[in-house]
Amino acid sequence: MRAGRIILSLVLAAALCLMAAGVRAAEVRGVTDTEVKIACLVDFTGPGKYAGVPISDAFKDYVAWINDTGGVNGRKIKLIVEDNGILPPTTMQAAKKVILKDNVFAIAFNLGTAGSSAILPLCEENQVVMMPHGANKVFYDPGNKWVFVPHTVQFSMACRAVEYILGKNPKARIGMIYQDDGFGREGLEGATAAAKFMKSEIVKAMPYKTDTIDFSPHMSAMKEAKVDWIVLWTYLPQSAAIIKEKVKMGWDVKLISNNTTGVPPLFGLVKELADGYLLVTPYAPAHTDLPGIKKAKEINKKYGDFAKQLGNPMYPDYLYLAAWGYIAATVEGLRKAGKNLTPESFVAGLESVKDFDMGGMCPNITFGPKRHVSSFSSLVLRADGKKMQFVIEDELKEPKTPQQ
Amino acid sequence: MAKMGSLKTSYKEDMALFQNTWVKVWLGILIAGLVICPYFVSNYQLSILNEMAVAVIGALGLNLLIGYTGQISLGHAAFIAIGAYTTALLTGDLGLPFVVSLPLSGAMAAVLGMIVGVPALRLKGLYLALGTLAFGFIVEYVIFHWDLTRGDLGMAVPAISVAGFEINTERQYFHLTAVMAVLATIVAKNVTRSKIGRCFTAIRDRDIAAEAMGIPLAKYKIMAFAISSFYAGIAGCLMAHYQRWIVPGSFDIHQSIAFIAMIVLGGLGTILGAVLGAILITAIPHAIVYATDLFKDSYPVFGGLIVDFKLGIFGLIVVLFLLFEPHGLAGIYRRTKLYWKTWPFRY
Repeated sequence: MRAGRIILSLVLAAALCLMAAGVRAAEVRGVTDTEVKIACLVDFTGPGKYAGVPISDAFKDYVAWINDTGGVNGRKIKLIVEDNGILPPTTMQAAKKVILKDNVFAIAFNLGTAGSSAILPLCEENQVVMMPHGANKVFYDPGNKWVFVPHTVQFSMACRAVEYILGKNPKARIGMIYQDDGFGREGLEGATAAAKFMKSEIVKAMPYKTDTIDFSPHMSAMKEAKVDWIVLWTYLPQSAAIIKEKVKMGWDVKLISNNTTGVPPLFGLVKELADGYLLVTPYAPAHTDLPGIKKAKEINKKYGDFAKQLGNPMYPDYLYLAAWGYIAATVEGLRKAGKNLTPESFVAGLESVKDFDMGGMCPNITFGPKRHVSSFSSLVLRADGKKMQFVIEDELKEPKTPQQ
Repeated sequence: MAKMGSLKTSYKEDMALFQNTWVKVWLGILIAGLVICPYFVSNYQLSILNEMAVAVIGALGLNLLIGYTGQISLGHAAFIAIGAYTTALLTGDLGLPFVVSLPLSGAMAAVLGMIVGVPALRLKGLYLALGTLAFGFIVEYVIFHWDLTRGDLGMAVPAISVAGFEINTERQYFHLTAVMAVLATIVAKNVTRSKIGRCFTAIRDRDIAAEAMGIPLAKYKIMAFAISSFYAGIAGCLMAHYQRWIVPGSFDIHQSIAFIAMIVLGGLGTILGAVLGAILITAIPHAIVYATDLFKDSYPVFGGLIVDFKLGIFGLIVVLFLLFEPHGLAGIYRRTKLYWKTWPFRY
């Protein structure tokens, strides 16, 4: 009799637990009538920590502005900025924390390609839209329902770089120095594809390990191969080292690189030696007066620390602007999802974003059901060694090489 | 009056897996706790417990090699990677079931562990550490550059499916990882109380004396590497299926160091130490997350400081342990147990 009562109690308790679970399942993670939780995973402590602060600055400013102007469909955005340490294990911990503990609705930014790959199943399983920042062609080709890439990827930028060179000189001999990881290899893939498309070739390609600073062997090999342009898929310190090596060799070879090196600290590292250095990027420099840049500056003045951020000539502005594009795309997707916000309606909302005006700051944002990358276009910037700033050399253009 | 000690009058009693009734009772409570806890904790907490269970398996393996046999290894993460990639290829590319890939992942790691164990016959101390470190770099390089392992963007791993039942939720994974961790602990305990375990200890204490007593060093050193690697392979296999995506960056030198920290902080040469160390080291980053969240709103500056110094906090805990508790958590446990056993007397 007593045992029977205990069993009955246990069955009832289990049924109550299941009912409670059912009630919880009916709710949408991270969404209430007045709030939606969005995460931004950046690096504050790992190898990419230089990027953490400007990216989070942009997110904080944009979210403060949106919340101040009434939110999105009546909901305020609650922003959760988390350190992901950029490496896969630390990114996994950060993603678990924001998804399983903080219950965010979407990850509007995740810095690091390998880390983004690592957390993809977790996002899929929990129906969390994730926007990765890094070498991203793999994330939209083939596409994934839960992944959106709101910027031009390394593949497209490398295509643009090679097409720019061959547009100037169809017989140019092009060499390439690239970082031996997903970022560098995606650059090589893009450069090779564009060269092939333009009926040319990369005559010499040399990888380097991530922390390399001595590029004398690479540059000697490039000289031996008689290249007259070198495409660099490198980070800032490596580009600076290559510029110095070029000057040391007294070799007048032309250099063109990627967006990660288009930051004012390059002038701090090589000063006027940077003059003439070219790079491909989707983001205009912050000193220009394009409408999108002006708007970002106004918002930064109101909600951020303008003197230390966009008003500071040595501030890594491209990271701020890149993050701006991500949160702008997220907010537009939320807006288009409407009042009934669910993961499905958010995906549909993002897929319906068409030609969202970025005011020239970067390419306008367009997604579609079969296109989860916002743009293929980029600018070419040139380093002005005298003014110590980057200037626009060639307007926003999409490469002719097939991108999907 | 409670017994002040336990008198054993036979070898059987001395070698028993469960030394007395209290051990059985506590183990029963622990197992009951493991069974019911998934129903009372959040998914996030379950994910931490899953990480801990996998870490326990890996740490037990390393403890058999370093703690019991005295063979230092800085390449443990490489064996975990081998297990993870083996199961990814077997279940993902070849479509083999998990029940087949699990032992094969362990076996593949064990075979490579035996190969690494061969130089260990001639190398000791720092030289062996460097040898295993080099092996770790080689494995990392291979999985980074081999087309089969898809480079640094990694590869997908299917969910575990056993007889048509797919394991998907944190709770289901916890049931599996907890059972595997308990099994791994029992097997490790049995290894240490067998002839093999005694040979390991003899080699650790003085290998020349062990050889003089007739213990074949080559056989037992290679065996220690094989068993340790097998454990690592199993941990890698479980981790791969749990995370559903593996990348080379998850198996670098940092992970090998984390495993060494687990067994050192837990207490070298004890099974309990490996378990407690794995739990502690896995818990530290999560504890920092909880602390950061706690102070983030009320003391944002303090919360920010924790983020800035989180690597330092981790290092500080390790250093403090090494300074003040060289016997690790197992040492604290032993002292506490002795204190209560002899209370109110000091001895």
